[in-house]
Amino acid sequence: MDIDRADGRTANQLRPLACSRNVLNRAHGSASWSQGETKVIAAVYGPKAGTNKNENPEKACFEVIWKPKTGQIGKAEKEYEMILKRTVQSICLSNVNPNTTTSIIIQVVHDDGALLPCAINAACTALVDAGIPLKHLAVAICCCVSQNGHVILDPNKLEEQTLKAFAYLVFPNSIISLPSEASSKLRGEPLEQGIITSVTQGVMPVEDYFHCLDRGRAATSKLSDFLRKNLHLQTPNNPSKAG
Amino acid sequence: MEQRLASTWRMSVNETKFIENSLLSDLRVDGRRPFDYRRLTIKFGRDDGSSEVQLGNTHVMAFVTSQLVQPYRDRPNEGTLSFYTEFSPMADPSFEAGRPGELAVELGRIIDRGLRESKAVDTESLCVISGKLVWSVRIDVHILDNGGNLVDAANIAALAALSTFRRPECTLGGEDGQELIIHPPEVREPIPLIIHHLPVAVTFGFIGKENIVVIDPTHYEETVMGGRMTVTLNTNGDVCAIQKAGGDGVLPSVIMQCLRIASVKAGDMSSKIKNAVESFNTERALRKIKRHNSSAPVDVSEPAQKGGTEFSDTHMCRLNLMSEESRVIQSNGMEVDGKLLQQEETIMRDSDAKSFIGGPSSWDPHSKGVNSDALRASPASQVVEAPTKKLEDPKVDQPSDMELTQPVSDNTLPNEVANTGLQTSEEKTLEDAIKPKHKRKKKKKKASSQQ
Repeated sequence: MDIDRADGRTANQLRPLACSRNVLNRAHGSASWSQGETKVIAAVYGPKAGTNKNENPEKACFEVIWKPKTGQIGKAEKEYEMILKRTVQSICLSNVNPNTTTSIIIQVVHDDGALLPCAINAACTALVDAGIPLKHLAVAICCCVSQNGHVILDPNKLEEQTLKAFAYLVFPNSIISLPSEASSKLRGEPLEQGIITSVTQGVMPVEDYFHCLDRGRAATSKLSDFLRKNLHLQTPNNPSKAG
Repeated sequence: MEQRLASTWRMSVNETKFIENSLLSDLRVDGRRPFDYRRLTIKFGRDDGSSEVQLGNTHVMAFVTSQLVQPYRDRPNEGTLSFYTEFSPMADPSFEAGRPGELAVELGRIIDRGLRESKAVDTESLCVISGKLVWSVRIDVHILDNGGNLVDAANIAALAALSTFRRPECTLGGEDGQELIIHPPEVREPIPLIIHHLPVAVTFGFIGKENIVVIDPTHYEETVMGGRMTVTLNTNGDVCAIQKAGGDGVLPSVIMQCLRIASVKAGDMSSKIKNAVESFNTERALRKIKRHNSSAPVDVSEPAQKGGTEFSDTHMCRLNLMSEESRVIQSNGMEVDGKLLQQEETIMRDSDAKSFIGGPSSWDPHSKGVNSDALRASPASQVVEAPTKKLEDPKVDQPSDMELTQPVSDNTLPNEVANTGLQTSEEKTLEDAIKPKHKRKKKKKKASSQQ
């Protein structure tokens, strides 16, 4: 049952996580997130006045700009932008600042697998750093399915390319809740069991997909703890970052 | 939409007056004197050809990549150098995504002129097959944070990235000798670019009616200043480019004075860049040594030099001495290229990295208590040159701790041991070496804090 991974991890082990907030001076909120060798910097500006013509002016709008490491912006980058935008829209309180636009800019520093989850985590941290009102945080993880049906977490680039299929999953932050659980139930299911986003690539049987979901959800508690600890530790920043 | 959304931040009159008045007494807002540069930090990423530069609050990253293309028809035996600047909206709320604005284009042109016209990078060495295939080097500069003086920071980032970039080695081979073989980095060590000199850009700002000159303006000073001038020069005293596009008029004597100051500053910058590149190369050489564990079987058949046949089954306890020997061997080896190539081929067929029995008994420079500085100082500079090709490193053994039968892949090692100066693995067994992440994370953090 043991998978032999190239860097010696077991199937359930994540790569070392590193996160820092407030890495840029001009941006209203910024964060850099790295999982193993994959590193992404996210910056947030906003809320700015006005929305796009197509967007609903009664809600806050988000725009995402994805900057790859080298090369032109192509379809893949546009897809990432769209996924990130929808993910962020679902975690933000869009009624608080209507008719505004918040920009999230993602810069890929190094891609060694699980790029989109890393970017989503970075974006979430940057949003917190900027003080954008959120319902809850989102943690993203990548699960891979190998040839014999084993589920592996947090693959690096080589594993992503060689294994059968992978899924990027985004879950809400696990809640440290008080005994009363009534408030956190949504239609009979606890809220923290929901999935915000799921992007798959490759072919996998349905059971394997459900295994991925379970493993991913289990891993989110680790990620949530890391995120929470990181967000607590930062000292209060300079009051004004405008301009 | 962009006009509405773009930041309408304007400097207040108070701030403008304050900057101008304090300059009359030779004081700048951040406490510098008029001809002081801000603190410069140059960092490199793991790959070759990626650099990150911080000049005060300005944050810039550069990546260099290369690919084979057809040359221009009027220059059939020269490679090409192309420069792409991205003013990311991350850097400044007024930067917009999409087409580069005029500032971005101007910045790109200044740096491009400094590098290309002055022939800083040798393009003829980038030619592979004249008239058919040449290397095209592409430099992408990403501006992450606009704290002022983007030109200088971007220039330094580009120079640093070019200095550490390595392109794959390619040879003509195949059946008819016409086929081009590009060797992956594991097989043949990639080659650095030939850089003749470092053209460093120095930017001056002219503030106020009296045209007070400041060097390295911050973005507040940039909003206030009436004119700017960028001078690109190298340490040989050559002026590579001067750019003064409009703005307030200044006396020629002021310009000459600026040039003189700039040549001093350029010298400083060049030496900083060179030091940073050297330490990166040293670290890279040390890392390379670990990496080539996987190709150590390659040298098994280099007979007389190492008694290599025993290699696959035992660890050899060798001293530092072996490293020097191996260096010598490699330089000999270089002359016998064809033969080595054959050897490689045969060996690669027989073994593959993962099942390499020798395992992670990397030649750890620290395991025998070797002084890392001594190591870096003398051998490393030589190591960088030739031998990293197939630096089959005699395994300085961690005594008796190695379990031969455990094929641990290489990749743990560079991470584990590349943190030079952190010698913690003396007492530990192989099991500890493969215990992953939380340990590595701490080590990485320590390494970064040590840097």
